[in-house]
Amino acid sequence: MAHPSQLGFQDAASPVMEELLHFHDHALMIVFLISTLVLYIIVAMVSTKLTNKYILDSQEIEIIWTVLPAVILILIALPSLRILYLMDEINDPHLTIKAMGHQWYWSYEYTDYEDLGFDSYMIPTQDLAPGQFRLLEADHRMVVPVESPIRILISAEDVLHSWAVPALGIKMDAVPGRLNQTAFITSRPGVFYGQCSEICGANHSFMPIVVEAVPLEHFESWSSLMLEDA
Amino acid sequence: MLATVSKQLRSHPALIPLFFFIGGGAAMSMMYLARLGLRNPDVCWDRKNNPEPWNKMAPTDQYKFYAVNIDYSKLKKNGPDF
Repeated sequence: MAHPSQLGFQDAASPVMEELLHFHDHALMIVFLISTLVLYIIVAMVSTKLTNKYILDSQEIEIIWTVLPAVILILIALPSLRILYLMDEINDPHLTIKAMGHQWYWSYEYTDYEDLGFDSYMIPTQDLAPGQFRLLEADHRMVVPVESPIRILISAEDVLHSWAVPALGIKMDAVPGRLNQTAFITSRPGVFYGQCSEICGANHSFMPIVVEAVPLEHFESWSSLMLEDA
Repeated sequence: MLATVSKQLRSHPALIPLFFFIGGGAAMSMMYLARLGLRNPDVCWDRKNNPEPWNKMAPTDQYKFYAVNIDYSKLKKNGPDF
């Protein structure tokens, strides 16, 4: 989850998020290099006593500052497009979960084998146990088996919402009347938090998403337990 | 017009990379648009002979421009035949 005074991304919990992290490092490094170069040139220009009042043009430097930015842009575009196509690939999911956005909670349906469905409301601040996170905890977490490809179908029952979990690198709009599909694999067990990412009314900031990745046996016992309670 | 441009290019050779990159970018975007128009199964050109191409998709065809990890020849159809 996010921590106070955090500057970068949360630690990646899925391979796609790892790719996004590395791409961000790559693009940011290029940005830093360009900014450093520009700052150096500004300082050098401002702090020199040399002047040349008669220069009109120079073909060589024009070639350099046309070709070099074009090459840099290609170096940014190629990894970016690769990740774009990678994010669209859905290889044989083991499980399909439906996440429905409501005002103001999420409901999850696991209907592959049995009819399991439950609502996930935020835990109000006054009901938090010590150690729990304010505005992020939910009463029922979306439990998934770790290291399994999961397909998630996202929609909404009333207004626009958006299902986002930054640690997994996912954000997908929940549009009423439309089914949006995305997929993810959790690389490690853990609890991953997200928040509704499309303005949906008074409690838009108070409908968090909690994904809990557990080993398959724990997922099976959890789902049996949830089916009994329903 | 081409003669004028080549004459001006000879005295300003720095513009050649500009033509190359802008021309290349325009060419690549037009080619991708053409690919989308002709190969995208959501597009119907011939209402009489091929009215709904989106109903004829096979699991082994690649419709996207670039496949990073998927081997399309290994995929099988999951849904029912209708």
